[in-house]
Amino acid sequence: MVHAANAVTPDRQRAELAALSAPAVLFTLAMIAFPVIYTIWLGFHSFSSTGRQSFVGLGNYSKLIADNEFWHGLWVTIALYVLSLALQLVLGIWLALLLFHAKRLPGFVRSLFISPFMMPPVVAGLMWLVILDPSLGAANYILQSIGLPPSEWLASPTWVIPTVALIDTWQWAPYVALIVLGGLQSLPPSVYEAAQIDGASPYTTFRRITLPLLLPTIVTATILRSVDLLRFFDIIYITTQGGPGNASNTLNIYGFRVGFEFFNIGYASALMLTLTAIVFGAVLAFNRLRGAVAW
Amino acid sequence: MNNAPLSEAWISRLNVVQLVLAGILIMAPTAWMVLSSFKPSFEVTAYPPTLIFSPTAENYIQLMRTTPFFSYTINSLIVTLGSAGLGLLFGIPAAFAVSWTRISWPAILTLAARMAPGTLFLLPWYVMFRQVGMIGSYTALILSHAVITLPIVIWVLLPSFDNIPRSIFEAAQVDGCSVTRILWKIAMPLVGSGIAVAAILSFVFSWNYFLFALVLSNGDSKTLIAAAFNFVGEGSTQWGALMAAATLIALPPLTLAAIVQRWLVSGLTLGAVKG
Repeated sequence: MVHAANAVTPDRQRAELAALSAPAVLFTLAMIAFPVIYTIWLGFHSFSSTGRQSFVGLGNYSKLIADNEFWHGLWVTIALYVLSLALQLVLGIWLALLLFHAKRLPGFVRSLFISPFMMPPVVAGLMWLVILDPSLGAANYILQSIGLPPSEWLASPTWVIPTVALIDTWQWAPYVALIVLGGLQSLPPSVYEAAQIDGASPYTTFRRITLPLLLPTIVTATILRSVDLLRFFDIIYITTQGGPGNASNTLNIYGFRVGFEFFNIGYASALMLTLTAIVFGAVLAFNRLRGAVAW
Repeated sequence: MNNAPLSEAWISRLNVVQLVLAGILIMAPTAWMVLSSFKPSFEVTAYPPTLIFSPTAENYIQLMRTTPFFSYTINSLIVTLGSAGLGLLFGIPAAFAVSWTRISWPAILTLAARMAPGTLFLLPWYVMFRQVGMIGSYTALILSHAVITLPIVIWVLLPSFDNIPRSIFEAAQVDGCSVTRILWKIAMPLVGSGIAVAAILSFVFSWNYFLFALVLSNGDSKTLIAAAFNFVGEGSTQWGALMAAATLIALPPLTLAAIVQRWLVSGLTLGAVKG
């Protein structure tokens, strides 16, 4: 090799590669790692209304265990999570199968089907707030015109969680559908041909072949939705702000209000660290599950 | 299975019915929002709701007259373009280095940051930004929103860089090309469409993000999304203007989404699914 002297040395190359990822790493450390450490520190402190801080050790955490509002928030978070996730997985898989078989659907129409999750959640909240208005909304008009009783929707302590789950499902079931559609398209066509030759009914084919093969994709969708659903914020804050009363006060909403409405930064830090531990715990658990169902 | 062709025709007919049903459930609410925004103000709250009306722009005019909608839009554009730009600036070289070295922790680090609830960072940011007097500044908003855009850029571009044959880089190296030069002259032009998708998705998700601007912006730097929250209180009796605002705010992300819909799968699952 004539130009061997020109070739880049491995050391120089390693240094250059490190320099290329350095800005992203430093940015993340500065914006995330350092602040999270600061949050941990804040969680061991209490702040008076004048802004004076004092060390309270695990005081915020023992307060949390004794705090009914925390346990209520945890219950709301889990109820909303389970209900929304179930709805979004079922409807998302349904929609994905429909779109998968509608091969002649133009791309533009296809993009309309999956568009809701690109809409700002705040806008989705505003939109549904008007549609679900108890006295003037279109939803109650439709219910009444088919002979059903009107609902108080977001204004009812009983119905607020299912209603919020419904709004979020409207927005994110199409996202689940998009992921599942990707999974469907990557399945080998040969398995279907074999099933067809064996005379399997469409239901049996779905139950025995498609669903098991899709399981890793479904777990992926579950992980991605879990991360968002466990820290549910936007739609609730715009529609009910945790109300009526505290009926939709998820942990994220509660933590936010403790921090930025009551300015109890120390206790809010303890709440948010607890919620973060829950989110990461769920992600790790589902990640192991994904390893177990991979093929 | 005596008359299989007939049952197949039945199944496809059933599919069409279901598809139409799904389409109505998905599109009707958005259509209702847009329709309401063009209704005369007295008709927006009419009960029973009306479907036929003479469209008017009065809600839009009222929105522009009673709120600084234009300056909110400028704020949103500054924050969104700034954070998308920062995400690309830091994310493109990082994705390239991760793809080259197969050392993935920098990518995972940014993703983990994205998974935590935003309030977790917002609490210390609020304390720190307040101490240095940066609450309400564009800088604070752009930096916070770059936390959203950076993992999008990295995870959208990783598979694109992975797809470039290594032999191309090796040939360039033999010619004495440095890694940075390879990224700039060879790799980036090859992943142009990936960069476009990353830029558009960054724009959409930064534009849509609510929580950080809710706390870190003030009257002068309020983004559209954060301002929309105030419209609820003020606009409780003015649904027309509220729906006009909602329509305008949703327009940029929905338009961009329609443009990139073909590439959405790989982009939106952060590389979890190969689309």
